[in-house]
This record gives sequence, C-alpha cells and structure tokens, in this order.
Amino acid sequence: MSDSKLEIIVGEGTCGRASGSTEIMGLFKKNAPDATIRTVGCVGMCHAEVMVEVIDGDGNSHMYGNVDKKGVTKILKFHRGEDEKPEDMLLSATDDPELEGGQYLTKQTRLALRNVGTIDPTDMEQYKARGGYSAIEKIIQTGMTPEDVIEQVKISGIRGRGGAGFPTATKWTFARGAEGDKKYLICNGDEGDPGAFMDRSLLEGDPHNILEGMLIAAYAIGASGGYAYIRAEYPLAVKNFDMAIQDATAAGYLGDNILGSNFCFDLKIKQGAGAFVCGEETALIASVEGERGMPRIRPPFPAIKGLFGKPTIINNVETLSNLPWIIDNGGAAYQAIGTEDSRGTKVFALAGTIKRGGLVEIPMGMTLHEMLYDIGGGSSTDKPLKAVQLGGPSGGCVPASLFDTKIEYASINATGAIMGSGGIVVMDEKSCMVDLAKFFLDFTQIESCGKCTFCRIGTLRMKEILTKICDGEGTMEDIDTLEELAEGVKQASLCGLGQTAPNPVLTTLKYFREEYEAHVKEQRCPAGVCKGLISHTIINEGCNGCSICERYCPVDCITGEKKKGETWVIDQDVCINCGMCVEVCNSDCILVE
Amino acid sequence: MSNQTLEATVDPELVNKWIEEIGSGVPAAVPLLQAIQGEYGYLPRDAMDLIIANSDINASQLFGVATFYAQFRMRPVGRHLVKVCHGTACHVRGADRLNTSLNHILNITDEEEDTASNGSYTVEDVACVGCCSIAPALVIDDDIIGNLSGADAQRVLKKHAKGCKEDLPGDTSKKKKAAQENSNEEARS
Repeated sequence: MSDSKLEIIVGEGTCGRASGSTEIMGLFKKNAPDATIRTVGCVGMCHAEVMVEVIDGDGNSHMYGNVDKKGVTKILKFHRGEDEKPEDMLLSATDDPELEGGQYLTKQTRLALRNVGTIDPTDMEQYKARGGYSAIEKIIQTGMTPEDVIEQVKISGIRGRGGAGFPTATKWTFARGAEGDKKYLICNGDEGDPGAFMDRSLLEGDPHNILEGMLIAAYAIGASGGYAYIRAEYPLAVKNFDMAIQDATAAGYLGDNILGSNFCFDLKIKQGAGAFVCGEETALIASVEGERGMPRIRPPFPAIKGLFGKPTIINNVETLSNLPWIIDNGGAAYQAIGTEDSRGTKVFALAGTIKRGGLVEIPMGMTLHEMLYDIGGGSSTDKPLKAVQLGGPSGGCVPASLFDTKIEYASINATGAIMGSGGIVVMDEKSCMVDLAKFFLDFTQIESCGKCTFCRIGTLRMKEILTKICDGEGTMEDIDTLEELAEGVKQASLCGLGQTAPNPVLTTLKYFREEYEAHVKEQRCPAGVCKGLISHTIINEGCNGCSICERYCPVDCITGEKKKGETWVIDQDVCINCGMCVEVCNSDCILVE
Repeated sequence: MSNQTLEATVDPELVNKWIEEIGSGVPAAVPLLQAIQGEYGYLPRDAMDLIIANSDINASQLFGVATFYAQFRMRPVGRHLVKVCHGTACHVRGADRLNTSLNHILNITDEEEDTASNGSYTVEDVACVGCCSIAPALVIDDDIIGNLSGADAQRVLKKHAKGCKEDLPGDTSKKKKAAQENSNEEARS
C-alpha cells in the first residue's frame, strides 16, 4: 500500500516526549514523507510511551506502544504489506477488540478526556471538527441566559473536581448574585499534588476545551476577567494553552463582544511558582495578586470578595473540561452517568506499581478493583498490591481489603481517604506505609505556609515522631502522641492543607497499625524500606565477584577480590543502605533485611 | 573551584526592560522573578536590588515572595540543572537513589551543597513534574527522562556531559582509566 493513504499519529504529551517521541516523529517524517503525520496529546497510556497510531486507507486503526527506532521500520513495513504484523508492539486494533490496549480504552467513559490523544492540541480546527466551541455558540446564538446555563450545570450534578467536591452550580450561584462592577473567573491548574497529572494532560492535550469551559463559567457568573493559573513545572501545558488563547482570540471566541454578543472575556495565563498551598482558593488569589501564597480567613468567600476584592470563582481544570460536554448534551445526559451521590465521570492518574499506568476516566460508581485490575492490569511487580493512596498528601490510603469500595465521594470518604483531585499511587508489598506517611508529612510540613500554629508546628512534630519511628527509635507512646497530634492539626488548622495533612497518618494507622508496631516493638521494617532498620549483606554463595556493586557504591564500603565471590563483604559501619548495590547486582545476591 | 565563579553579571537594561514590559506593581512580583531566574538560573542580588529601586515593589515584598515559592533560588546554579522529581510515584519507585547516584558521580558530598565543585551541574529536588507513570523521573535542563534506576541516572548524566563537554568530578571510571594509563606509562618508562 502506498504511504500516502496512511495517517500516522504520534503521542507527544510530556510523557511521550520524555520517552523519545520527538525522535520517533522525525523518523516517520523522514521514512514516510508521503503519509499524513499528525501529533496529538497523551492518550493516557503513559506506560506504553512512545505511542503511535496508524490509520490505513480502509479506516482501520492500529495502536502501537513502546515504539522505538526499530519499531518505526517494523510498523511501516507492515502497513506497506512487506512484513508481518508487529504483535509485540500492538496495543489495540479496530479489527481485534480482544487486545489489552483496547480493553484499557473501552472500559473507560471519556468525557473530559474526549479529545485528549485524538486531536492535535495546537490546531483549533481539529477541536472544532470534533464539535468544539459549539457549546458557547449554542449559548450565545440560542440566547441562553446565565441562569439557563447554571440550571443545566445544576441538573448535571457535577461537583468540583479539585478535591473538595463542592457542587459547581451552587458555587456559581453565589458569584452570580454577588454585587460587583467586575468579576473574575480563575482556572485552577496548580496541580500540586505529587502523584497527579490529570490537569497537565488536559491542558496539554485539549487546551481549547478548558478555554471553552472557562467561557461557559465566565458567562454564567458574569465574569469579564479571567486567569489560568498553571504550574511553571508544566511548560508544555503553558505553551499549548497560550497558543489556544491566541487562536481563540483571532477567531472571535475570546476578547470583546464574543460572537457578536455583549459578552466580553479577557483571559491571561499566570504561572505558579511552586507552592502546594496555592491550590487553596484564597492562597491562589493571594498569589495572583503578587503576594506570598498564604490563605486568608473566610468569610468573606471568594465568590463574594476574591481577586482584587472582586467576586471570583475558581474552578478546577477537570471541572471546566466537562462543561462544554454538559452544555452540548444537556445536564440530564451527564446526570445519567454515575451514582446518586456522585454524577458523571472522574479522571484518575494511575501511577506506582501498576502494569498499565496512565490517565483513565471512569464513570463514578466503578469499584477500585475494577479500575486497578480491569483497566490498570494489576500489579507491575511479582508482589501483590497492598494499598492505594488516593488524593495525595491530603488523602489517605485504602488497603487491598477495601478494593471493592465504589469510587464516589461518600464511599471513599467512609474509608478515611478522599476522592481528591485524582492522583492514585498504587503500592505493592515492597512499600512501607510508615515511610509513606513520613513522605507526605515531609511534604506538607515543607509546604505549610506557616500562618497558623497547628499546621506549622503540628506537622513538624508529627514529622519528627515519624522520623523517629522510621529510624527504629520510636516508642509505643509516640504512636499515641502521633494520633493525638493528628486530630489536633485536623481540627485547628485554618485551611484545607492543614486540615487534611494528617489524613495519610490517620489512615495508615487505621489500616496498617501493625506496621507501625513492627517498627517500634521489633525494630523491623516489614517492607524493607526504612534505612535505619535494614542492613545489606552479600550472600557469598551466589556472588560471582563481578565487582559492579563496588563501582556503584557511593560510600566505597564494598570490598573483595575480583571473580572471587566468597571474598566480598559490605562494611556495615560505613554502609548508608542506599540500595544501589541491590539495583545493579546481576546475580541477585544482596540480602536486605 | 569555588562556586563564586558561577555568579551572574546582571544587565541592568534587561531588568529595566522587564519592569517596563511585565509591570512595576506588586502583582508583577512573581512574573518578574520568573523572568530573572529564566535568564540567570537564580536570583542574583543585583537584579533584586534593581527591581526594588525601579519598581513599586519594596524589599520586604520582593524577598517575601522570592523566599516563599519553591521555584526561586537565591544561590548561583551550575551550568546545567538536573531536577530530580520527588513526587509520590517517584518516591515509592526509588527517587532517593537517583540523588545518591548523581551526587556520587558529581562528587557532591556536603549535604548543604547541591552543585558540583567544577560548576558543571546542580542537582535539585522538585515536588512533582507530573510524569508519574514513568517514575522515577528527572529533568536535565529542559528534557524529562523517565523509568530510571540509579545506575541509569549516571548513564544519562554521562551521556549528557559528553554531549556538552562537561567533566563529572566523581566519575571514577575515567579516573581509574587515567590511573591505569599512568601506571602503564610508568611501567614502560
């Protein structure tokens, strides 16, 4: 078959680029100059980057994963009819629905992600060809009032996807009714939760959709000014969104008298500078105003008195990305998806020890088990899954015994975790839950802005106790103090950061108390993670004396004679238990206990 | 070699141009600092002083903002910057080991120090670069690289160093090779 009939699509999100998509793209352009070659955002199968989709002249689609230089040649040869199907790279194909990759996508319900991985995010026409900007056109051309828009969103039942889950329509109603000559709409893209990348993929992969969502929200509340607050760590998201603003302005969707109406909306990007607390609404406002990002006491709520003292609504990226779909299809269609408690879909970022990690969007009400195993493919290691951490530093862990929990706000809250913004870190038995709690406390303690005492000092004391326990110096009394402090910080902190910071500690204590006790009573880290409680020794029977561990040891504490396995030893007084030797050992002969 | 050699010479015209373009009020504080750091890799004191003198932002406001946000750096930076991601996914998959192995090959032994003694590389921890599915990941200058072991991190850095002709002070393989050659020469002579 001639190349000219082939359409070759390369995933070029941040994950794709990190895996070498730019080089693969270049190879296709060089070796198949006659084919139509397009770039798209991340389809979400980050575990299989670089991803390439080939659509042949008959409209059949083949999706390939883990494509390297040789893969390019193999793929081209197959589609030219010169070679066999490269089965090892094939993830899904329209003529073979049984393939794993196909399952990964068919089990999802992609509304927010409907265009991500399908269109070139830098080409507005492709967004429009998929029904883009029809929602704002519908609003203006059919004369929907702001109240009509709010009503549809109310019917949809969508709740804020940033974590707290406050009903979007209710929030808007406050700002709609607030007095003010100017109102603001802010898109919260300050995805600070370590372990989450939903907003990044949405902003990178379908920026016009977020922009249209902002237009809808701004129209509903009567805002004429807008900011997209995006993390500086997401340069590609900033670049793609900036281009979307320029193209939308040129096409008359943004600026003064949008589509010939009285609706005016001016939109700017504000880059975050790295502060987790800026995900909190009042801190984010302080940051846009140029101040240190410290939360302010509420009331007054931002909907009444927010940015520069004006009524302000802050909506999360994912919330906004659902709005065009809701207006196009009606609130009732969205409401029909999900459960009584939680309507619609939720995007999750699956990471950790999971086989098919990436971005997934599921209907609310699916169980954790279905998402982790049917979509995610289960554990990526030979160890079974132990727990998942939902909602990052503000969330909690859910043990494997509760994987039948439905993904909806109430059911997840009942476990002690939170829905959060959608970051899910999956852990197998090699993860230490005390170490995890310490990791999060380390994070929140550093990120605490320092305004209120419970958060500033409380998280520090908690971190100190956790460090003590991880070093094997903890007492049983420490565990009680930790619990007491956790309750105090939760109740007395000013903003969400402090109020939720103890969640990882409280949930790990609830479900994995025996691990804490093993650290204290037995001086043992069951997962073999905590450096103060483990030691590395060489099993001489298995050692072949290759000396690779010696070369990689950062503290030069491994000695022995080359090719004489029986002579190799680790000096325990010098060893820092970093684990480099375990990683590089070819014969698996370093014992960690 | 001391890191003082890495200190930037600030161009006042450039800083004043930014004030003109970005703004001189308090809301411009963060973007102004971002512009400075984008140019010099850190916030040189001279540039900060120029902003304080030529804008409506006072010293307490500017330093308040500069010290609040994790992105800003007050110390000079190496010629190349390596950011090691410490998001949750990277943490559980061994991000600490990337630091250990990078510090080893760069011979950074002092806990307070993050730049190699020859000024080649600075190793910084960052909260999360949002590439959790390819954890653990790091960013060298602008390139994100994922799915790394500690040994991979050294390999990646060696390749990068070769490409831009930098020396890695802790690269023992080179030293050993040199020592071997020396001793061979001695043996010959």
